[in-house]
Amino acid sequence: METIIKTVGLGKTVSTSEGRLTILKGIDLEIKKSESVAIVGASGSGKTTLLSLLAGLDTPTCGEIFLGEYELTDMDEEQRAKVRGQMVGFVFQAFQLLSSLTAIENVMLPAELKGDSRAQEKASEVLRRVGLAHRFSHYPSQLSGGEQQRVAIARAFASTAEVLFADEPTGNLDTATGAHIIDLIFELNEEFGTTLVLVTHDAPLADRCTRSITIDSGELR
Amino acid sequence: MHFSVALKLLWRDWRAGELTLLLVSLIIAVSTVTTITLFVDRLQQALLRESSTFLAADRVISSSHPIADDILIKAGELGLQQAQTLSFLSMVFSDDRAQFTAVKAVDDYYPLRGKLIVSDAPFVRGTPVESGPLPGEIWLESRLLPSLGVDKGDILDIGVASFSIGNVLVKEPDRGSGFNSVGPRVLMNLADVPLTEVVQPGSRLTYRYLFAGEVAALDVFQAWAKPRLGVEARMFGVKEGAAGIGNALDRAERFLLLGGLLGVILAGIAIALAAQRYSLRHYDHVAILKTLGATPAGIDTIFVVIFLILGTLATILGSCIGFVVQMAAVKILEPLIPIELPNPGLRPVVLGLVTGFVCLLSFALPPLLKLRAIVPVRVMRRDLGETGIADRMTYSFAIIGIIGLMWWYSQDLRLTMLIFSGGVAATLVMSVLAYGLLRSGRIFGMQAGSAWRLALAGMQRRGQENVLQILVFGLAIMLLLILYLVRTALVEEWRAQIPENAPNHFAINITPEDVGPIRQLFHENGVASQPFYPMTRGRITSVNGQLSRERDRQREAAADSDGPRESSGRNLTWAADLPADNRIVAGKWWPENYQGPVQVSLEKDLAQSNRLKVGDELVFTIQGRKLAAIVASIRTVAWDNMQPNFYIIFSPGALGDFPSTYMTSFFLEKHEKLFLNTLLNRYPTMTVIEVDALIEQIQRIITQVTLAIELVLVLILVSGGLVLLASIQASMDERLKQHAIIRTLGASQKLVLGSLAIEFGALGFFAGVLATFGSEITVYWLETEIFQLDYKINPELWVLGPLGGMLLIGVVGTLAALKVVRTPPVTVLREL
Repeated sequence: METIIKTVGLGKTVSTSEGRLTILKGIDLEIKKSESVAIVGASGSGKTTLLSLLAGLDTPTCGEIFLGEYELTDMDEEQRAKVRGQMVGFVFQAFQLLSSLTAIENVMLPAELKGDSRAQEKASEVLRRVGLAHRFSHYPSQLSGGEQQRVAIARAFASTAEVLFADEPTGNLDTATGAHIIDLIFELNEEFGTTLVLVTHDAPLADRCTRSITIDSGELR
Repeated sequence: MHFSVALKLLWRDWRAGELTLLLVSLIIAVSTVTTITLFVDRLQQALLRESSTFLAADRVISSSHPIADDILIKAGELGLQQAQTLSFLSMVFSDDRAQFTAVKAVDDYYPLRGKLIVSDAPFVRGTPVESGPLPGEIWLESRLLPSLGVDKGDILDIGVASFSIGNVLVKEPDRGSGFNSVGPRVLMNLADVPLTEVVQPGSRLTYRYLFAGEVAALDVFQAWAKPRLGVEARMFGVKEGAAGIGNALDRAERFLLLGGLLGVILAGIAIALAAQRYSLRHYDHVAILKTLGATPAGIDTIFVVIFLILGTLATILGSCIGFVVQMAAVKILEPLIPIELPNPGLRPVVLGLVTGFVCLLSFALPPLLKLRAIVPVRVMRRDLGETGIADRMTYSFAIIGIIGLMWWYSQDLRLTMLIFSGGVAATLVMSVLAYGLLRSGRIFGMQAGSAWRLALAGMQRRGQENVLQILVFGLAIMLLLILYLVRTALVEEWRAQIPENAPNHFAINITPEDVGPIRQLFHENGVASQPFYPMTRGRITSVNGQLSRERDRQREAAADSDGPRESSGRNLTWAADLPADNRIVAGKWWPENYQGPVQVSLEKDLAQSNRLKVGDELVFTIQGRKLAAIVASIRTVAWDNMQPNFYIIFSPGALGDFPSTYMTSFFLEKHEKLFLNTLLNRYPTMTVIEVDALIEQIQRIITQVTLAIELVLVLILVSGGLVLLASIQASMDERLKQHAIIRTLGASQKLVLGSLAIEFGALGFFAGVLATFGSEITVYWLETEIFQLDYKINPELWVLGPLGGMLLIGVVGTLAALKVVRTPPVTVLREL
């Protein structure tokens, strides 16, 4: 199967008041198209940093990252933003919806940024698919946590991304709602043939993925 | 594509109420700037026009010969109104008496500005008329009627022609001060002058050509005509023409300018704060947009579009509001402003629009442009904010904007750079002080009750933000204090310029033997008079062996002809004591009972413009004889105090050998003016110059100028209030979030409000301390360097500044927090 994400000798260090701190080092990994991969590990092990590097949200200190046909490490923010817009979708623990936009407007946003004239049509379709047909014109503050996360998922799939990155997508939700959200993500993943990379603490969730990668103190184990 | 996203975001932000504060700040700032600019411009024009009545025109060419026709033709082409006068000295005869008079012949268009005031009988109040005497008619000044023994309607002779007395002349607008207008005034029609045959070759004549019209046309005319005038002609406007008023006008103009400038800076700060808050609230938005594929350039496009739409909207709305507010202010103040304001022209509207937009560009755009640097990974780690690189760019925007605006307003790069570097230095010192003050608050506050501890701990925690906030509060309060202090000093100075009961009549041509008896007559009638100064005419003919005419020619050739000419004929006096309002700036005044070689004291401008120094040997020609003198001192003279003032004063006894007359000045109330008749009847050779009307006019203008600058002060106060509000609002989100958390933990509303009140009060207090300190220093500099005033420390300020700051910020801050503190904390946490 075709490789969609690949890293070679990936490392990240940051300067702190107590000197340089290594967050990640020597990460070599490969993720195939349509795979679902869970990144697991203890708090502070570097899971979230790895996810943000893979998604092109942050830049590594050393090593290389390939996303699809692109090598992210050679790119500036301008180019990385274009790649994100083209092939990446996100679901975050804290939902990250724009508070001034309604549910449908939030879902339309990525398509609008691409200049897609069918933004509204696509957004309505996906929003119905996640079961929020009655919530189109509600603002995030008028929605429950589970509903907000469903809007976020709809936004991620509306942009027909090739890779979906999810950072603790159930972290802010109760068990029952969390389970529904997980079901939804996996359903859609299958439906759209998306590659899924998610960071989680939740063992059952990790078990539903094709495979798990464990990070310990910044290194793959 | 980003354009449409920008429009949607803008519309959605507007719907969600995110834009209200920014837009309101922008509109209020632009409208304040427009209001002030418009108002200041109209006031400036009005004051200048009102003062033009001192000249009876906007510009005057004064010459001893008729000027070339092409100058008058040019004035006609430029659409200027014109009038002409001709002044000369002549005897006027009644049946049995004669009097030496100063005749002024005027054409039918005179005066162009101001009005002639006439009456039917001498020494009574008159009524204004539009133009001067008709042919065949003359108007006499009040005191000429008793001294010639005539009444209105009688016949008088000037030269070989006879005229009937048509009116008693109470006031002519351009009577002027000084001693050029010796002799009582006779006004006649210019067409009658040839009939009198008194104007002969060699007569001493003064031709005056008066011009009035639009400022732009006058400027063009002045630039065109000035180089074409001969050496015997001089062109001037009200500022050069009327010393008593020119100074006051200059200072008022500078004050209005300073006011406008401070208004712009305050508006800029308000805009910057509102934009900063808007930008802060969009950090997360931008991070999300970026994760969704928005590029930095795309973010720029989005926010520049938002800015342009907001800016255009605010500028147009703000200008309209400013226009209306200014019109309303004028309407309301109409009964208080005794002058008619000219209609606002297009220029101030454009000025307001441009100022508004530059303000937006340099203060609102930078915080928005900063958004491009937000890193997308912020969606996962909120503590990762923007990078520091963009900050430098945004600050430089604001700096260029401020410098540009200041330069544009003041037209003086040096002044701009001085104010700017002073401001930067003050900001640095203030930051250090603010930081120190905050630390001292912590030590002091540790033992206090829990609202205190909460407040002071909060201040300490947000140390950097609070230092910035103290700076902004301090700066706003400082600018207001500066304006208030300068205004107070100016008004006091103006009031002191011509004190109550200042002498309002000059008596000249008093013979030495009449001095004693006249002094006695003053005493008997209870008239307060100044010292009697001996006076004689003379001129400087050489300096250190070099001929003065030659030196004047050299100066003219070097295009350095400003200031008094060295070789001009002047009134000379001698005195033992330095006149009260004079101040020695070089050399020494002669000691008491001085009897050495002849010494002389020169006025500063005369000395400076002719490069005369202490120790130079001057030779004077006085009534055909030569007299050598050494320059002993240089002194300043208060020309606008309406007292006898001299360019040149000799040491006592130096002019003893020269025949001289005496002069003095004295004060008469309106109802005491008949005393002049007694005086003139008994001493017919002396001349009295009445300056009471002039003094009244100066005082009236000063009252108007005072009112004008007070109005501007009020407008600036409004701007200042806006800055404080914007600044409090800008910091509110963070504070409220903290306090909402504290409230969920069980703190009462009272405790939270109390702690907010203490926090804002303390910030206000520190800001007040800094503002007081800063304004004292700035005012010292402004008053001594820019306004040429004497600086006095203001002890009341050291109480008012800190206490006022504490109350103002404390009350406004607490009130602003009141509504949100009353909403349930969970709602607050959800919305922030």
